[in-house]
Amino acid sequence: MANPILRMQGICKSYGPGIVACDDASFSLDAGEIHALAGENGAGKTTLMKILFGMEKAQRGAIFIHGEEVFIHRPNDAMARGVGMVHQHFMLVGDLSVAENVTLGIEPRRRGLFDRSAARRLVAEMAEKYDMAVDPDALVRDLSVANRQKVEILKVLARNAEIIILDEPTAVLTPQETKRFFEQLSALRKAGRTIVVITHKLAEIKAICDRITILRKGRTVGTYAVAAISEAEISRRMIGGEPPAETARTAVAVGPGLLSCDRLTCLSPDGRVLLDDVSLELRGGEILGVVGVEGNGQRELVDVLTGRLLPERGKVLLAGTDIVGKTVGEIRRLGLAFIPEDRMADGVDLEGTILDNATAIVRDETAYNAGPFERRRRLSDYAGQLAKRYDVRFDALGEKIRQLSGGNMQKVVCGREIDACGSVLVADQPTRGVDVGAVRTIHDRIEALSVEGKAVLLVSSDLGEIRALCRRAIVLCRGEVVARIQDLASVTEEELGLYMLGLRRQTDAERAS
Amino acid sequence: MKRAFAFFKRLWLRSRPRLLETLVEGGRTLLAILIAYLVAFAVIGLVSEDPDTAIRWFVFGPLSSPAELGEVVKNAAPLMFAGVAACLIIRGGNFNMFTEGAFYVGGLAAAVVSIFVELPGVLAIAVPLLSGIAAAIVVGFVPAVLKEKLGVNEFVSSIMFNFIVLWVGVWLISNVVIDVTSGDNATAPIPDASRLSVLVAGTNVTTGILIALGVAVLASVYLFRTRFGYRLRMTGDNRAFAKNVGIDVARAGLSSQLLGIGVAGLGGGVEILANYRRFNWKSLPGFGFDGFMVAIIAKNKPLLVPFAALFIGYLRSGADLMAFNSDVAQEVVQVIQGLILILVAAEAFFSSAWLRSLLSRRAFARRRADGTEEVDGRA
Repeated sequence: MANPILRMQGICKSYGPGIVACDDASFSLDAGEIHALAGENGAGKTTLMKILFGMEKAQRGAIFIHGEEVFIHRPNDAMARGVGMVHQHFMLVGDLSVAENVTLGIEPRRRGLFDRSAARRLVAEMAEKYDMAVDPDALVRDLSVANRQKVEILKVLARNAEIIILDEPTAVLTPQETKRFFEQLSALRKAGRTIVVITHKLAEIKAICDRITILRKGRTVGTYAVAAISEAEISRRMIGGEPPAETARTAVAVGPGLLSCDRLTCLSPDGRVLLDDVSLELRGGEILGVVGVEGNGQRELVDVLTGRLLPERGKVLLAGTDIVGKTVGEIRRLGLAFIPEDRMADGVDLEGTILDNATAIVRDETAYNAGPFERRRRLSDYAGQLAKRYDVRFDALGEKIRQLSGGNMQKVVCGREIDACGSVLVADQPTRGVDVGAVRTIHDRIEALSVEGKAVLLVSSDLGEIRALCRRAIVLCRGEVVARIQDLASVTEEELGLYMLGLRRQTDAERAS
Repeated sequence: MKRAFAFFKRLWLRSRPRLLETLVEGGRTLLAILIAYLVAFAVIGLVSEDPDTAIRWFVFGPLSSPAELGEVVKNAAPLMFAGVAACLIIRGGNFNMFTEGAFYVGGLAAAVVSIFVELPGVLAIAVPLLSGIAAAIVVGFVPAVLKEKLGVNEFVSSIMFNFIVLWVGVWLISNVVIDVTSGDNATAPIPDASRLSVLVAGTNVTTGILIALGVAVLASVYLFRTRFGYRLRMTGDNRAFAKNVGIDVARAGLSSQLLGIGVAGLGGGVEILANYRRFNWKSLPGFGFDGFMVAIIAKNKPLLVPFAALFIGYLRSGADLMAFNSDVAQEVVQVIQGLILILVAAEAFFSSAWLRSLLSRRAFARRRADGTEEVDGRA
């Protein structure tokens, strides 16, 4: 075995009492490899890498780079040692150009001032060298997600990172973009860079990685050559047992229309079209998928349906009532529940307890109130049962929800909303950043809703999820419905990708059918 | 016996995380106070010829006699109202500083009603106090509703409102409800029937302190045991989340501000009926601002407010006694007070202290001891 370029040893990190993210984890990298870091959510993958990058501090453990012990206290230390990280949520300045973003903080100077042309030249050269074509003068806010990711990687390269950490890099990409992205990663490997990919997508690990390290519950299960381990074996080691069998999907008879949108149009404050004449009908017993590259109107569609955004034009009928202009509370009382896309910002109160968050929807029901007072016992029973059914791992209902891992937090949100669903559930990225086991649970529950005759609108950037749950789907591109797929089984992912990227669209006749 | 044991064990397991958290936070506050006092002693040592006497008065003076202890409690009472008011406002996610003006309005209204409306028995106290609350809420409605409906920054508008209220009040006691025989710009004397009686003979502690404690308990029950309090807390913690789960956030925010202002108005009324012969405030009393400090020390928990208020009361009494009995100038005393308060209120700088790392080390140890971690599957 070659001398490892990086070694992390005995890393321990806990967030407060009882919440352990890394527990004696170890990790090592050989120069010039693509190394997958895999594990369920909450297994400590991201935390381990954040420690390496100086964003978190380990309570114990040591890091060696080129065999020499290093002490990394902040991201600048890490960058000085040649470690760079691309985060799951991009950290870019939308109003600055690509060249400005890439050189932010390491600006080339001429006579003390920012040398714009040097920055542009630098970015153009790097883009050429690493096969990442991107216009140095474009404003970042105008770029597609795939291009923004390139900017992030260029940013890391511009800082001469030898080791590049990528946190869930393909989560936001279409199949075509993912393929392209893998080619770029291979080019980087050829150029001698070492790459860590945090992921839990097994197919991707198989496709591009050389070795894999599996984490479970904060501990290193082991490091393996990817060629020598099967997908099934990887998943077994991630979960620590056999994965639960996928239950057979039962066909459900489609019932009456529960929710319909008629020619919804939304404009941004500066007049850009966000939703363009979107119509859809959602019937009882069906799960309708909304497919599209992020930022193509999904958010606005969900916001209009849930009463958080007023459309310019159009109607939304829920149980026969036009809900445009109604408050979220009124719409919820009409039977709609929804799982927001961003659980941290919209789905939970991080300062609140698990109890506070799990019972948010039922708080007003008479069963849980005696006069002005809350029935604490019944509320905690309810929350306890919900946590149990959705397999939320926690110490006490009274602990703050911020102490849960992202996956467990999401289980609380999904459980709360699925249980509260009267007739329609709008699920926006319900399983983003959730481990395999929890995904099963959530999918099963969503499916159970449709069996009960309720309707689900599933917005997801994970095509696998859409294909697993939905039969019918619409594809949004630039706020417009470019395709209506009646049977997802008859369409390949590549075809979907073409629609998503706006390279192909159905004729009006096709969409009407 | 066995069942009782099981019950306590469950209770302990369930409350352990919160208990640990409380201990850590409490420990941090105590540490901050300790450091603050050490800094204060250093300052006293620098400026005083006889630091021994000064420090003795500063630290032990307030505890030296029942009368002095009474002063502590008397100083703390308005801070309790102000602190609870600030808790309600901060919990709702607001920073409405009108609690200051509310003290003024509440005191003035209580005084005027007690003077001009003669009522029998306990009503002579209750009606003026309720008028104080009502007057404060009516005036305070303006900045509160401007915030919730139009998004006007309540911090700025409420501070401006404080001055409007102050000068209207000063005009009233100089022109309309002035009692010229007082030789001051002040109202007529408050009738004895409306004065709060002394609770502990030989001290200045009145029944006002009981009202303050009652308000702290009520506020705590409201915040943590009713659905209205839940809506208020959720709105304050994360407005987007509260809106998403169907809470009327504008209403919850408004109720948080109005309740806080009402409590402050009550505090103004109690202060006047307990400690003043006439209403003669010609400047803002400062309690409203202090209230936010008290609330911060009390971690926005109404039940902790009385302790925080007593601490500030003790600090102020000690500082007054030191100024009176030693060569430390009043100005230096003010500086020391400021230093202590900054250190105590900003104890967040201890967040990464050894206490926290100590706890997490114990978390590792516990997991090992429990044997809940399986070790197989490791390569």
